[in-house]
Amino acid sequence: MAKDNVIAVFKNRSVLSGMTAKEAMQKHLLRLPCEADIKNCIRHLIKFKTNAALIINRDRRPEGVVSKTDIIGAYYAGLPADTPLCDIMAGPPCVCTARDSLETAVEHMQAHGIHQIYVRPDAEKDIEGLVTYADIVGLIYRYCRTCIRSGRYAKQIAGSKIPPLIVRDVMTHHIVSCTGAQPIANIIENLSTQKLGALLVADNTRIPLGTISKTDLILAYTRGIGIDGSAAEIMNSPIVACTAETRLSRAVQQMFLADVQRIFVAEGPGSPVTGILALSDATRFRSGTCRACAAGRISEPPGN
Amino acid sequence: MFAKQVMDTRFHFLRPDQSVVEAIKILEIAGKKEGKKIFGMMVIDHDDRLVGMLSMFDILLYIQPKHIGILGEMEDISPEPLFESLLNRVKKIRVEDLMSTNLVFVKPDTHVLVVMDIMIKKHVRRLPVIRNGKVIGILYRSDLFNFLMGKLIEDGKG
Repeated sequence: MAKDNVIAVFKNRSVLSGMTAKEAMQKHLLRLPCEADIKNCIRHLIKFKTNAALIINRDRRPEGVVSKTDIIGAYYAGLPADTPLCDIMAGPPCVCTARDSLETAVEHMQAHGIHQIYVRPDAEKDIEGLVTYADIVGLIYRYCRTCIRSGRYAKQIAGSKIPPLIVRDVMTHHIVSCTGAQPIANIIENLSTQKLGALLVADNTRIPLGTISKTDLILAYTRGIGIDGSAAEIMNSPIVACTAETRLSRAVQQMFLADVQRIFVAEGPGSPVTGILALSDATRFRSGTCRACAAGRISEPPGN
Repeated sequence: MFAKQVMDTRFHFLRPDQSVVEAIKILEIAGKKEGKKIFGMMVIDHDDRLVGMLSMFDILLYIQPKHIGILGEMEDISPEPLFESLLNRVKKIRVEDLMSTNLVFVKPDTHVLVVMDIMIKKHVRRLPVIRNGKVIGILYRSDLFNFLMGKLIEDGKG
């Protein structure tokens, strides 16, 4: 009877607890007018290495968003590259406020299947920033790199019962690949139906030949390569890869340095790919407790 | 004193469909030929129309990892393997992908003081000179400076 009256109250804590959207957001936003065309948008997305453009109307108010996914949809549909953005944009933009927790922002992004969320100071004001998975992982990385607690754990790593996180602990084993001969149309279909950001191009034994990302597809669009072109024509090689035993922190560093959002897992050059780690995986990983704070183990203390 | 008196009618340029790798080589060759560093060039299409400007800054901005600030001083990261990956990314990119298209230009009969005002306010080192939609010359900030200061020194001697 006594047990039935006990109400347990737990406070869920995670890597992102206490962090707000404002701390992670980047202020450089790509804004384009409604009447700008797809070719112009692609040029800006490539030049500024961003995944989406905020589309504004003549009053400079946000009307919608055009992402690489939307552009690829236009490519697949055979729309000419001088099509105005207002014809393909998705709207209105997904927004959170600067004071919202990062956990809320991430949950929102995952629920909507998006990779960026816009930030406004409060509900009434104009959009002032953007949060992407890279920003969130970067914030965790910077935080943990300077955390005293992380430093203490680092000193105890040798012989410690709490090993550092490695890629194997976080990676996804399911790999979607295609051959070099496969037409671009199939690539687009695979990316869309499986909600992927990139596809591995491999031979029959899963030896990687290259990758095709959304960036490669929009480049193909702007170059006038038809969707009946082959994967081999547009892929990027070599792939960015690490081993499964690589520390998660090193893999994150590698992704930031190579400006990629995912890294393939293979035992060495010319070895089959066995997994994939995305930046979004690194944000999903949560310690659950502060003491373990496995996120603290994401950091690499200087000198390691 | 007009733009046409100061402009250089010999100029190097890039085509929009050239690769960035070719553009870098052209910048280097042009610099050696002119005996001075060339920081950027006009991008002219096959109808001799100005379509953009590409500078070293545009190329460096693209090569630099977007989130480099996250990594701090990077004292524990070896740079060599990283450079190959960074430079590899440029290979598929063309001039038209990185060039600036928000262009400012002047006409041959634009007064040099207006040219100077544009260069100061817009923070530009070079201005194309356009007649009837076609590029006929380029004005460098250094040449404008030398032209104006030359006048000053001349007047001083008088």
